[in-house]
Amino acid sequence: MSGGILIQQPGNSVVTDLGRFRGPRFGLPVNGALDQYSARAANILAGNLDNDPLVEITALDFRMKANSDILIAVTGAPLTLTVGGRPSSQWEPVSVRAGETVSIRGIHRGLRAYVAVHGSIEAETLLGSVAPDTVVGFGLQLKEGTILLNRRSVGPVRQPYFDLPLFRLGLERPRMDSNLLVDVTDGPDVAEFGESGELLYTSEYAVSGRSNHIGLRLGGELPERTSSGEVLSRGVPVGAVEVPSREELLVLHRGRGVTAGYPVLAVVTSTGLDVLAQARPGDKVRFRKTTVAEATATHRRSRTQLETLRESVNTVFGLLGIGCRPQWQDLPVAACS
Amino acid sequence: MSVLTAASTEIYESGDSALRVVAISETSEHNWLTVHGLADWLENCGAEGLHGAVPTYDSVLVEFDPILVSARQVRAFVKLGLLELGHTGESAHAPREFDVPVVYGGEYGPDLERVAEHQGISVEEVIRLHTHKTYTVRCLGAPAGSPMMDGPAFPKPVPRLKDPRLSVPAGAVAVAGRQAVIAPAVAPGGWCVIGQTPLSVLNIRREPLVPYKPGDILRFRQVGPEDFNEFLGMELEPLP
Repeated sequence: MSGGILIQQPGNSVVTDLGRFRGPRFGLPVNGALDQYSARAANILAGNLDNDPLVEITALDFRMKANSDILIAVTGAPLTLTVGGRPSSQWEPVSVRAGETVSIRGIHRGLRAYVAVHGSIEAETLLGSVAPDTVVGFGLQLKEGTILLNRRSVGPVRQPYFDLPLFRLGLERPRMDSNLLVDVTDGPDVAEFGESGELLYTSEYAVSGRSNHIGLRLGGELPERTSSGEVLSRGVPVGAVEVPSREELLVLHRGRGVTAGYPVLAVVTSTGLDVLAQARPGDKVRFRKTTVAEATATHRRSRTQLETLRESVNTVFGLLGIGCRPQWQDLPVAACS
Repeated sequence: MSVLTAASTEIYESGDSALRVVAISETSEHNWLTVHGLADWLENCGAEGLHGAVPTYDSVLVEFDPILVSARQVRAFVKLGLLELGHTGESAHAPREFDVPVVYGGEYGPDLERVAEHQGISVEEVIRLHTHKTYTVRCLGAPAGSPMMDGPAFPKPVPRLKDPRLSVPAGAVAVAGRQAVIAPAVAPGGWCVIGQTPLSVLNIRREPLVPYKPGDILRFRQVGPEDFNEFLGMELEPLP
């Protein structure tokens, strides 16, 4: 009997995963965790599959109470984490005893935090994903009193084991501050902006408070489109940098409508999107031009780190007897004979 | 069964996880058939690392996981797919037809008169032109799988609203430029709303979420405001 996890203070939190990858084909945005690196890391640290459902917390304080012994991992923006009143570390597995409260306060420098629970949590899916979609009205937004059902309980782990340098095995915590450097590649319509397109690389932009999971609005010197005329609706990539108005630059994130009629000046790289996922209103953004080949290499390097982390976690969990391969642990005895 | 030879295309980088393929033949029908044929091919080719394809009028956005596959490899896949289009000879699915009851004007279509005035024709003529033609669903767009269609034979393109509405109801029947659309879900919108269908279009408990696919045929039919409630709660379904 898992007992579940009681949400005591939801702040602004949802259950999500890495995204609805089949969505765009049906006119739905991919959505999912905005900081993909932190979300994957949380799940790996909790011994889960990368795409397992987890909690995404945006900006506000959050509290939950475990009704059974569980194991969690908290990643993302810097914050104050306490478990049963004890200060605990982010970016490493943490044991929570039945009845204890997990408290997350003072998210700073970045905007979003992730809480993964070993064994993951139950949530309804749409096109194979639990990620909320605000447009079609799907998803699990947490409220005070929501009970999350975790799929597996984990007995209390004696803390000394976790003095093993789990979190010093090479996992790079994303650097977060209020001056962000974001890599982009040339967009498919860069030619439509002529020389003014260079402004993107020489100007500094300020993140507007009207930014959200659909897109970030940035104030600053704006490149101008030199061509005119109606553009046919086209599929736009996540990360598309557009200039839809004279006031702001728009950078589309994972909640973006899949089609639009604005020319795409540049596209933020996969790692750059994780940086923007942590941008707070008022933060300053500079863009740096890179190539697709370099962006891919950078992205693959960061994934390699996560793979290394996974091996370490598997080893440690194996020693501790924590099932980090749920699909094996959960097999009925008969299936193994 | 028609054999489609792919239109000429251009392929653009669109970040590290997507490519944009644009068909550039002179006939828009050929371009449309090409990008949708390619999207279907990519969807069914089972290549590892391909997330999917978003085809619209003359272009298709191909999304992929750059950890599993490189932009260069996807480009090669796209070229193979375009070649294959000319040889499989498989036509798209047989189009299904949908009958869409619409209450025009008034609270259901707040922009009907504005559109009539701008076109220099009567409200009745706007409705006649809108109900007169059959519409091919060109693609599924934002928001929520909207059926994007070539618009009615109005004299002029319809300008978008200067101040987009913060909320347009589900079922709104709208026009803009030379395009027509139905809104499956409540969303902000800058298109001119000329009517509303009482049928529900989106059902997130069903897969696919919307009943039509690109290539399907829609017809609009005028019904009176007194009929609106009679249709409420019914779903848009293909004609038998």
